[in-house]
Amino acid sequence: MLKLDGICAGYSVVPVLKDVSLTVEAGQFVAIVGPNGAGKTTLFKTISGIVQPSAGTIMFEGVDLAGIPAAKRPHLGIAHVPEGRQVFPSLSVMENLEMGAFTDAGRRAWKQNLERIFALLPVLAERRDQFAGTLSGGEQQMVAIGRGLASAPKLLMLDEPSMGLAPAIADFIFEKLIEIRAETKLTILLVEQRVAEALDTADRGYVLEAGRVVLEGNNATLRADDRIRQAYLGM
Amino acid sequence: MTSQIIENVLQALMAGLLAGAIYGLMCVGLGLIFGVMRVINFAQGDFMMLGMYVAYYLFLSAGIQTAFGSVIGPYVAILLSAPLLFLFGYWIHKLLIARVTGRRTAQLEGDGHFAQLILTLGVALVLQNGGLIVFGSVLASIRTPLSASAWEIGPLWNDDLVSVFINKARGIAALISIAAMIGLTALITRTRMGKALRAAADNPVAATYMGIDIDKSHRLAFGIGAAVTAVAGGLLATNYPFHPYIGIDYVIVMYAGVVLGGMGSITGAFWGGMTIGLVQQLSTLVLPTQLQNAAIFVVFLLIIFLRPQGFFGHVVERT
Repeated sequence: MLKLDGICAGYSVVPVLKDVSLTVEAGQFVAIVGPNGAGKTTLFKTISGIVQPSAGTIMFEGVDLAGIPAAKRPHLGIAHVPEGRQVFPSLSVMENLEMGAFTDAGRRAWKQNLERIFALLPVLAERRDQFAGTLSGGEQQMVAIGRGLASAPKLLMLDEPSMGLAPAIADFIFEKLIEIRAETKLTILLVEQRVAEALDTADRGYVLEAGRVVLEGNNATLRADDRIRQAYLGM
Repeated sequence: MTSQIIENVLQALMAGLLAGAIYGLMCVGLGLIFGVMRVINFAQGDFMMLGMYVAYYLFLSAGIQTAFGSVIGPYVAILLSAPLLFLFGYWIHKLLIARVTGRRTAQLEGDGHFAQLILTLGVALVLQNGGLIVFGSVLASIRTPLSASAWEIGPLWNDDLVSVFINKARGIAALISIAAMIGLTALITRTRMGKALRAAADNPVAATYMGIDIDKSHRLAFGIGAAVTAVAGGLLATNYPFHPYIGIDYVIVMYAGVVLGGMGSITGAFWGGMTIGLVQQLSTLVLPTQLQNAAIFVVFLLIIFLRPQGFFGHVVERT
């Protein structure tokens, strides 16, 4: 479904991603793990079109994304739940979700999607008329995830959904992701620093370090890898 | 004697409400550009001037006076000036202002506000001087027979002779302003397009992730803002004569109105403008007319001192 080949990207003169290739098959849950500053967020921004790659190609469902501006990509079915939540603070929770459904697909499936989102994250239904900026971090993360689901995506990209949240809330968000996955069979690409949980949940993983893919494989292979066990799992 | 004072106060209050409604609409136009999209536009007053002249020439030279007569005609011309000023604003944004706004300015110092300031000041000067060349320096006005007649409310109680007069042209202008404001509020708060504009203003990058085209949103908001202020200008022109430099007199009033109402609030901008109209007219009861504008800014400073976020400004935590 998504295929990156030899992607190099960065900000002005500073290269961040160096020759990154990865593949996400339809229906897969793929996790990208790695330390701070490895280029995980830049990778997502490159897929979303906010950052232009200096080399390499990105194919989504057989379409080369190179000529497609950032604002058109969500309409192809790519939903990006950004790092740090990035809700619309002065819009209500409901309006935030409506903005998620800005795509044609999201608009067509709005009623069912909204029901599903509220069933999954009941707190959003309770707070539907509240300004999103006044919510707690965990609630804002739920708005961001709900907003992503409201677009009726083919691929849901989640950038560190647990970042900056209390451990209990982060666990809750993870449970929700597993629930979404089990219920919808949605293709998910997840960036996460909670490596153990991420690798437990994912079908396949990539380890990104200093802008390069240093390791890849299915979750059993990765969890059995000595380097992963020492560096990330603390075993 | 007392009845005379009461009548004067009521008359000034009415004059303030009528002027305030038009100022309110003017502020709503800027409110969309400055309050919501956070673009500093010093040419807003000159967009208004342009709207006045467009309505004026549509009325006199484009056959609207002959087709609709002198009573309905001016209002038809004013409403027709809206789409023209929308296009004008849209293209000014596309060709010039887009270069210093939107996602591009994220890296610029002050979010590109310095560049916007100078750029729009330049546009303002070009419009003023261009206006002087094209339209001339003679005062123009959109004349309607309605401005010479009035409705009388009253006598308000039987044994006295207190009554309030509403100039018909000003009354109709105020009603059209209020209707336009309500329509615009509905557009911004209820429609998909309006919500997308607000989202684009709130968080441009996240809006891009939703599939909203930021540059297009800005162009639309800018065009609508220009059109709204132009309509307010046209309505003003049915009561007051104007000239190519009239923009300067009003642009500061518009900024004061937007800030008074609370940045980002369309309803707030309207009430900000309304407050300015009321203060301006009520101050004439106790102060000489030349001090009208001083009175406006004394009250403005007082309100900002007491309520820095403006009437309708809400503090939402920024992520």
